[in-house]
Amino acid sequence: MKSYHDIVGDGGSRILEQVAEQRTRVTDGLAGVRHLVAVGSGKGGVGKSTLTFHLASALAARGLRIAILDADFNGPSQARMAGVQRALFVPGSHKVALPRTRNGIGVFSMGSLIPESEALDFESTTRGESQTWRATREFALLGEILGSFEWGELDLLMFDLPPGAERTVQYAEFLGPRASFLLVTIPSEVSRGVVARSVAALSKSPNRMLGYIENMSGYYCRDCDAIKPLFASSGGADLEIPCFGAVPFDPELASHCDRGIPLPALSETPVGRALDQVAQRLLDTLDTESPR
Amino acid sequence: MKFLCVPCDTPMKLQTVAPPERGSLSIVYACPECGYEMAMLTNAYETQVVQSLGVRIGPDAADKAVGPGCPFAEMMPTVESGDTRSNQTVDPIPVRWTAAAEARLANIPSFVRPMARTGIERFARERGAEEVDEQILDAAREFFGM
Repeated sequence: MKSYHDIVGDGGSRILEQVAEQRTRVTDGLAGVRHLVAVGSGKGGVGKSTLTFHLASALAARGLRIAILDADFNGPSQARMAGVQRALFVPGSHKVALPRTRNGIGVFSMGSLIPESEALDFESTTRGESQTWRATREFALLGEILGSFEWGELDLLMFDLPPGAERTVQYAEFLGPRASFLLVTIPSEVSRGVVARSVAALSKSPNRMLGYIENMSGYYCRDCDAIKPLFASSGGADLEIPCFGAVPFDPELASHCDRGIPLPALSETPVGRALDQVAQRLLDTLDTESPR
Repeated sequence: MKFLCVPCDTPMKLQTVAPPERGSLSIVYACPECGYEMAMLTNAYETQVVQSLGVRIGPDAADKAVGPGCPFAEMMPTVESGDTRSNQTVDPIPVRWTAAAEARLANIPSFVRPMARTGIERFARERGAEEVDEQILDAAREFFGM
C-alpha cells in the first residue's frame, strides 16, 4: 500500500501549495527591501513603538527610504504616532499603496483600519476557543499584509513587534533569517530579565541580534536641564549583546507621540540626541556587519 | 492530508466542497479507478485550523487563492457604510466605479477593500467626481504622496 510520501499532490485541496504561494508572495514583495529590522523586547511597555517610530524618523532624515510595519495587531500604536490614523488605502495596479507620513515614512498599522474603540476580531467557527488558532491566523494576516502592500525599494523595513518572548521568536521564524533584531529594555531588573529570555530564545534562531537599547534611562527634567534617575536599580541580567545606547524619558516625547509629531522637533534635546546616536549606530551596524 | 483507496492503492481526488455549515466542511473525495466516494466531515476546530492558515479548500482553490476571507467581517456593517468612526455620517451621493477601477480594487486584500472603497469615494466626491476611474485612483496616490 502506498504511503503518504508515495503520493504526489494532496488530491485537490492544495493547502500546502497555497501556503507555499503565500510565502512566495511575501518573498517577492520584500525583494526590494535591503534590511529587515524587527524591534522587539519580550517585555511590554518599554517603548518599542516609540523608539521604532523615532528611529525611523531619524533615519529618514538621513535620506534613507524607510517603512514601518506595526506588527502589534492587537495593540497598534504606529498609526497614531505617525499621524496615519485616517489613512487612505489606494489600490495600485496589483497591490495597495502604503500610507505615508509627512516625512515620507511608509506605515502600515491596524490602527489605520480599526478605530481605537474597537478590537481586532476574526471570523471563527470555534467562537470562544481562539487560543487554539489565533496566533496562526495573525501570522497568516501578516503574510497577507507583506504580500499585498507596495513596499517597493526600501533601505529599511522596521517591524514594531508585540510583547512576549515567545512571540518574538515566532516573528523570527516567520520572517526568516533576513530579519535582524533590535531589543528594547528599561533599567529595571524585571525588564532585563524578560529581555534576557528573548535573547536566549533568539539565540537558537539563525537571525542576527543587532543589540539592545536601554529606554527610559533616567528622565529629562526641563526645569533643571539635566537627566535624573527614573528607576532605583539599573542592574539586572547581562544581555550579552551590544548596547546601542541609552535613551532618557522625556514627557515631551510622549506628547509628540500622541500628536503624531516626528523627531526633528526634538532634535536639540537630550532624548533627540540620544535617539539620533542610536539611529547612527543602527545604520553603521547594518552597513558594516554581515548576518551571522 | 491525503486519502488512499486501499483496494485500488490509488490516491483519491477531491470532488466537491460544501460551504461550512455550523463550523463543519463536507469534502467529497472519489477514487479515479473504482469511483468509490467518501466524505470527510470536519469538526469546527479542524475547519478553523484551515481558515487560520489563510487558504481555501476546493477544486477551484487556485482561482480563489487571493487571501483569506475578511477578518473584520463582524465589523463590516459599520466599515462598509463608511462609518467606522461614530462622528461620521454616510454620504448619500452614490459614486460609480469604472470596470478598470473595480479591477484594481479587486486586486487588493479583502480586509482593506471596504475602507479603500469608502476612502476613494470620499476623495472623489470632494473633487466633484461622480465616478471613480483610474485617473481618480492615481490622483489619490499623488495627493497623499504615495
